[in-house]
Amino acid sequence: MSLPGEPSLTRRPIIKFSNASFAYNNHFALEKITLNLHEGEFVGVIGPNGSGKTTLLKALLGLIYPNEGSLQIFDCACEALRCRHRARIGYLPQKERTDPNYPITVQEVAMMGRYGAIGLFKRPTRGDREIVLESLDAVNMADKQKKAFGHLSGGEQQRVLIARALSQRPEILLLDEPTTGIDASTQRRLSELICRLHQKYSLTIVFVTHDINMISPIAETLIVLKNRLHAIGRPEEILTKEILSPVYGEEVIVAERDQRPYIIVHDTHNHV
Amino acid sequence: MFEFLSYGFMQRAFLGSTLIALSCSVIGVFAVLRGVTFIGAGTAHAAFAGVAFAFLMGFPPFLMALLFGLSTVWVTSYVQEKGRMKPDVSIGVFYTFTMALAILFIGLMQGYRPEIYGYLFGSILSVTKGDLIIIFGLSLGILGLLALFFKEFHFISFDQEMAEASGIPAKRLSFLLLNLISLSVVIALKAVGAILVFALLVIPAAAAQQWAKNMRSMMIYSAIIGVSSSWSGVLLSYWLDVPSGATIVLIAASIFVLSVLFSGKGKI
Repeated sequence: MSLPGEPSLTRRPIIKFSNASFAYNNHFALEKITLNLHEGEFVGVIGPNGSGKTTLLKALLGLIYPNEGSLQIFDCACEALRCRHRARIGYLPQKERTDPNYPITVQEVAMMGRYGAIGLFKRPTRGDREIVLESLDAVNMADKQKKAFGHLSGGEQQRVLIARALSQRPEILLLDEPTTGIDASTQRRLSELICRLHQKYSLTIVFVTHDINMISPIAETLIVLKNRLHAIGRPEEILTKEILSPVYGEEVIVAERDQRPYIIVHDTHNHV
Repeated sequence: MFEFLSYGFMQRAFLGSTLIALSCSVIGVFAVLRGVTFIGAGTAHAAFAGVAFAFLMGFPPFLMALLFGLSTVWVTSYVQEKGRMKPDVSIGVFYTFTMALAILFIGLMQGYRPEIYGYLFGSILSVTKGDLIIIFGLSLGILGLLALFFKEFHFISFDQEMAEASGIPAKRLSFLLLNLISLSVVIALKAVGAILVFALLVIPAAAAQQWAKNMRSMMIYSAIIGVSSSWSGVLLSYWLDVPSGATIVLIAASIFVLSVLFSGKGKI
């Protein structure tokens, strides 16, 4: 294992894992993770299937708690993070998770992002509707707000789900393989959109993906997981054969394309 | 032509079937969208076992139907929470177990008890004033809670994990929703019968989904389909002297088939 050390950021740490382990059925999915993620940082999380990427997201979403060690979000132990703070964390799930036949309009999907902040027994106000419209506008979907969500293309649906996350007015945005199952040009537009939103709203982004070549040009920091924290650092520090081969196997090739490292992995997910 | 409406039993049948159809078809929307309709079938059979137990022991049938019916939700939720098996498996086990209990209880009874078969096949025309009060109170409660938690139920039906991550008490509300689904089935048991009550939960909502663009319209369409099937079913069963529960379900099923064929959405 190699740990080139964290990037020297002067920004405030917003997420702190301290020796945190997460287990399902007595099996550790992530073990002894210690790392800090900072305000406004764009973090890419990579690793092969089963390396603990989704577990990391679930932990940040408050769906699972550490069995050992601790996880602090906004200076608060994750177990004690209350509803209104949870709303400060936006989430874009994997595309397949949503049912395309569910009868719901674009506006209704985006409004769901407000529900945590609105609270029980209350109805959305004009202010909530304005925030939703602004979020849909930020992803260029405002003109389609009355359309049925199920009738949109995959890329458009992802944009609406990003708008839902933005409607929460989040400080942290978690993305779980958002570009899977979408064609290459839509993928590119989607990652450009995420970069723009990162700048515009000063979001802390945790972007989980299997696509190393897509994430490395846009992330400030890369995290490589292999059920432990295998490496963390700037993309150019991470994308080396020494760091990647213990995770992806000896066959990993670090080539160069457009003066950037280009990784070829013998993995069913990664296309050459 | 409408002199039958002056009969007390017909008035009760209309009012009862309207309330039952409303609560089942509206909550059925959530059951269909969440993919938990099977809980309705499980509840119906467990509730029937409750009725058989009540007849055997001399307890009030509705109370036992309620207890046995809701226990389907409690047992399957507990098993799922423990991560032991998927809900369809645990409901399947519980469903057959309670049906076996029902047969056992009927076998243990002294003599022939025809009224128990009323709960199996349903008879809306035999709804009493006391039944109507229970149906009225509970339907109102179900619809009231649905209105109160509409946005949360909507969210957890669309994406439960996301709802939970947003800080909504998704697990507790999901449990409440399952209990309400189960309760709707129990209150419809006597009128529609254990075998057919499941249809009232699923068919109007499934037909409505073929036409609806959003949740609100799906609920309205489902309620219209459910109530109109019930009314026409009650009328036809009176005029033609055929079983009411079966007539209601056959009309609803016909609307479903027409919806699939003509809505343009449900291309199979």
